Amino acid sequence: MNELDVLSVNIWQILISLFNLAILYFLFKKFLFARVKAIVAKRASEVTAEYDKAQKATEEANEIKASWEEKIKTADAKAEEIIQAAVEKADNRSEVMLYESREKAESIVRKAKADAERERAEAQATIKQEIVDVSTALSEKIIGREINMDDHRSLIDSFIDNMGDE
Amino acid sequence: MLELAIGLILGGCAIGAGIAMIAGFGPGIGEGQAVAAACEAIGRQPESQSAVTTTMLMGCAVAETTGLYSFVIALLLIFLAPGRFVNILLKALGKM
Amino acid sequence: MSILLLILAILPIVAGIIIKIMFVPAVEGISVTGAHIFFTIDLPLGGLPITESQVNSWLVILSLFFFCLFLTHDLKTKDISKRQVIAEWIVEAVDKMVLKNMGDFFMGFGPFIAAIMGLSAMTSLMSVVGLFPATSDINVVGGWAILVFFVITYYKLKAGILVYLKGFTEPVAFFAPVNVASEFATPFSMAFRHYGNVLSGSIISVLIASVLGALSNLVFQWLPEPLSSIEFFRIGLPAIFSIYFDLFSGCLQAFIFAMLTMLYVSNGFPQDEYFKRKALKHAKENKK
Repeated sequence: MNELDVLSVNIWQILISLFNLAILYFLFKKFLFARVKAIVAKRASEVTAEYDKAQKATEEANEIKASWEEKIKTADAKAEEIIQAAVEKADNRSEVMLYESREKAESIVRKAKADAERERAEAQATIKQEIVDVSTALSEKIIGREINMDDHRSLIDSFIDNMGDE
Repeated sequence: MLELAIGLILGGCAIGAGIAMIAGFGPGIGEGQAVAAACEAIGRQPESQSAVTTTMLMGCAVAETTGLYSFVIALLLIFLAPGRFVNILLKALGKM
Repeated sequence: MSILLLILAILPIVAGIIIKIMFVPAVEGISVTGAHIFFTIDLPLGGLPITESQVNSWLVILSLFFFCLFLTHDLKTKDISKRQVIAEWIVEAVDKMVLKNMGDFFMGFGPFIAAIMGLSAMTSLMSVVGLFPATSDINVVGGWAILVFFVITYYKLKAGILVYLKGFTEPVAFFAPVNVASEFATPFSMAFRHYGNVLSGSIISVLIASVLGALSNLVFQWLPEPLSSIEFFRIGLPAIFSIYFDLFSGCLQAFIFAMLTMLYVSNGFPQDEYFKRKALKHAKENKK
């Protein structure tokens, strides 16, 4: 007989197939699972290392950024200070200038006023003189007699003074 | 007479194999119910389809076992039993 | 290099076909037989017949071994090739399945489950190329089932022999014989399930092929002589049926065998007792 029965049990064949499965288990373990797991673990460690590196780099960058921000902040403060100082200086100067100009203007005004006053006084004096002269001449003509020039003058002066006072 | 006895043995084995396969009813009904329940479950929760399908296949495989036992018995009755029984008969008659 | 390994992976299957053509006589008509015996080695307990099923399973192991080497030679961490993607996918999928069905204590079971699935599926699928499917031999699946039974028992014994023996008296001592019987029924039911499914598939294939042959003889008998002897219906049509019986059923049975292995091992393992025992041992060692 050259063929097995459909249902025939042979202990050796069972053992052989048992060991077949065990051998395939070891083959799979050694050549598929161990290798793949090793490579996956390696990749995972590499990724972790890369990640660590990236984190470190980020931290460094953050530090640099912080320092630069600090610097920029101080620079800002400095600039502000400078501007403040400049503004103050400018303010001072402008105030001084303003003060000076006001002073000048006031002095000019004062001078002008004094001039005007003096001129007015002069003019008053001249007008008075002239009025006196004119009134003297007029009264001479009207009265027809010579009045004592000096008496006359004092009279008119007092009159005018009175007039001016009233 | 011997031919009749051998014929009886062969016929009995064949009838026995046929009767053994009646057990195919059980797994058929059981698996049908399992699939019906699985269809209902999938209809109710379509998102659980993969889990239900896996479980159903497992359950069907386990339910099929009785049917396969009967199938193996039928195979034995067809392929192994006749030779054995005829040998036993011949030995009992002292012809071998 | 990778092409060479791929060829080496396919070569065993080709060798199987060549061996079948050279040594196995063609079967005439309807005949359901077991594997062809090449030769028998004299050993006690009935001798060892080297049959098609043994040769085919060795060829499958060789093929799977070279396929593993093909997938996993020169793995890289960057710029991975498609081979490596496939290899990693296989490993990940199997590990995920093991984790889902057995829990993280049994993570070492990945290769075992992969071996069961690969060997079972590949030996069943050999019938696609016309070879004898080794899984339709009760000895082959019986061997696997017995190995699985050993593994189950080993994990049951991990919590001590007393716990193992006590497990048989659940729920009452009266059930002990039934429990023992059901314990030993596990490998039988696993083996017969796989064997019966594959064998029924191949028997139905034979029946379909012979029916188609008879039908084509009936239909084409009016043709002239050389043409009428060709059985036209047997060309291609049986392949359609073999899609279910060989491809689907073979893969399904492999999956179910692996699944049942995982469930039996993880369910049989008395986890609570094991950890209790471990904690006790630790405590004792610490005392010393």
